[in-house]
Amino acid sequence: MNMKADVTRRTLLDVQDLHTVFEKDGNEVHAVNQVSFDVKEGEILAIVGESGSGKSITAMSLLRLIPSPPGRIVGGRVLFNDQDLLDLGDEQIRRLRGRDIAMIFQEPMTSLNPSLRIGRQLAEPLRVHGSVPKEKVRERCLELLRQVRLGDPEKRLDAYPHELSGGMRQRVMIAMGLACLPKLLIADEPTTALDVTVQAQILELLRDLVRQNNSSMMLITHDLGVVARYADRINVMYAGRIVERGTAEEIFHRPKHPYTLGLMESMPRLDQAPGSRLTPVPGQPPDLSDPPPGCPFHPRCRFAEARCRSERPPLEQITENHWKACWVDTDAKR
Amino acid sequence: MPNAEPLLQVSDLRVHFPLQAGLLGRNAGAVKAVDGVAFHIDRGETLGLVGESGCGKSTTGLAMLRMSPLTDGRILFDGEDITHPDKPALKRLRRRMQMVYQDPFGALNPRMKVLDIVGEPLRVHRLTQGRAAYREKVMGLLEKVGLKAEMADRYPHEFSGGQRQRIGIARALAADPELIICDEPVSALDVSIQAQVINLLEDLQKELGLTYLFIAHDLAVVRHLCHRIVVMYLGRVVEVADRETLYDNPQHPYTQALLGAIPIANPDPEVQQHFNPSLSGEVPSPIDPPPGCPFHPRCPHATELCRREAPRVLEIEDRHTVACHLHDPDRAQAMAGNL
Repeated sequence: MNMKADVTRRTLLDVQDLHTVFEKDGNEVHAVNQVSFDVKEGEILAIVGESGSGKSITAMSLLRLIPSPPGRIVGGRVLFNDQDLLDLGDEQIRRLRGRDIAMIFQEPMTSLNPSLRIGRQLAEPLRVHGSVPKEKVRERCLELLRQVRLGDPEKRLDAYPHELSGGMRQRVMIAMGLACLPKLLIADEPTTALDVTVQAQILELLRDLVRQNNSSMMLITHDLGVVARYADRINVMYAGRIVERGTAEEIFHRPKHPYTLGLMESMPRLDQAPGSRLTPVPGQPPDLSDPPPGCPFHPRCRFAEARCRSERPPLEQITENHWKACWVDTDAKR
Repeated sequence: MPNAEPLLQVSDLRVHFPLQAGLLGRNAGAVKAVDGVAFHIDRGETLGLVGESGCGKSTTGLAMLRMSPLTDGRILFDGEDITHPDKPALKRLRRRMQMVYQDPFGALNPRMKVLDIVGEPLRVHRLTQGRAAYREKVMGLLEKVGLKAEMADRYPHEFSGGQRQRIGIARALAADPELIICDEPVSALDVSIQAQVINLLEDLQKELGLTYLFIAHDLAVVRHLCHRIVVMYLGRVVEVADRETLYDNPQHPYTQALLGAIPIANPDPEVQQHFNPSLSGEVPSPIDPPPGCPFHPRCPHATELCRREAPRVLEIEDRHTVACHLHDPDRAQAMAGNL
């Protein structure tokens, strides 16, 4: 069950006005545009959005994993333990990756080195960060594989990635992510490539291990079902910006931003009677090299007013656990 | 009176892909992608074909169009045996049966104009006379799927994923087919765009009286669109039922596990308590499927019998069939000792 979000908890990661641009055909694409959010200790924070919304680029920016060129972080601060990660030298950020903040990527097929045995890859973060004495590395690797419930761990240490199934590989990725007991785990679509019965096993495991280690997790996904089950708080991204933020309860039961409303109405839902017609969000997401003026969602918004077309709404707090970036009182207009 | 005979009937369908090993191409067994599948599709209905990767649902779809080699089985389309069609029969068949693919980026030839992509079936089957009529027909098709007629002169790269899927649907409609096989038609699209294409498929069915075979892994989309659903596992059918029955009263342990593993977009504890990720393990390889019931290594109810013998398909109530020893009255006694 979701642990109730607790706003009094200490902030672990504080992201302020993060701004990442990409050079594309001579144009600047603002993939992440003035994004601010925080991650509390012990919480699971979701960033949800569709392709091109900037959710993955946000995650990669935090650990400075943006390929440059063409990408560039042009502004903002990423405070972790009162230290701005954007100010760290290359060596310092490398030491922090995997040890304090670890990342689990989208493709378990391509994120492992195909020519190295599992044991060697799993031991790498332990060796790099020297968190375990040399003679204990193998033992720790076995312990990690047992933790992620990979059967026959002794044998798996000597296996190559291609000898494992997709679900097993993702378990290995999780074991690598958790190897140094990071304070923050960033999981970018960790189960998108997996079948639903395997996805369920992996996500439950990930949630349990994060709780067990007293870590926090940033869960990046497009799947609202996954978000509803696992997230304490949710940030909804659209066109490089956060358009709505709140506890899971607020976002799912009292969505305020027209884009979030649109997502909920356009999705066939297993918790509602079948047969009613879906209400799609009309149009397409904007081209970020030439974004519309005003609110980035206004060309697709059924509530749009004159002001929406010229002035961009800031992300503002509307109730204790709820923020939105929208000029319109959607409750009154619905 | 509507024609009560099913539009499509499939019995004991088998598609095995031989494996070869070494330089001499020694026969090394086979991938049993589809291994004894039977179902029918009524006229005007949407039949869902669901299951996880490797269950054989896409291969089954391709077999209907005779685009994958049949090892065994029989397919009847509108009463006609199309299991081994000659060339003219195959051409006739492919006019009446069309396909919409998953990947809106890979399914359209990037060097062809939309006019010629959508119009291809018209040319192949010589359905229009003269350039003007051809063009007019394509423009009508584009409008039918919610695109603008003047888009005919553009190339696929100028379109978004949702628009490309509309182009693919327009092409499938060009030859006035009766059956459209949709293989994961919305799974590559974002949620907000997905609904546009789902609504379009619904509208077209109503307007044109189409029959769909809808192949998908997303059980929420399948519940929304399909009248009846076939659940597959490792090349076999495990359960078939009407939508309401399948979702409210699933009987095969795999169907139950599959439905329990879907996270629902509602954080309420009452809703979340239905979530049941109990199923362990993964789908075994179709090269070396387990003996007996293919699901037994993951099944919480498996007995000695399940490990030894494949279950038969049983009609447990009207329009509801299950392939599971648990539901076989003749086996009940044999099982009782084991349970």
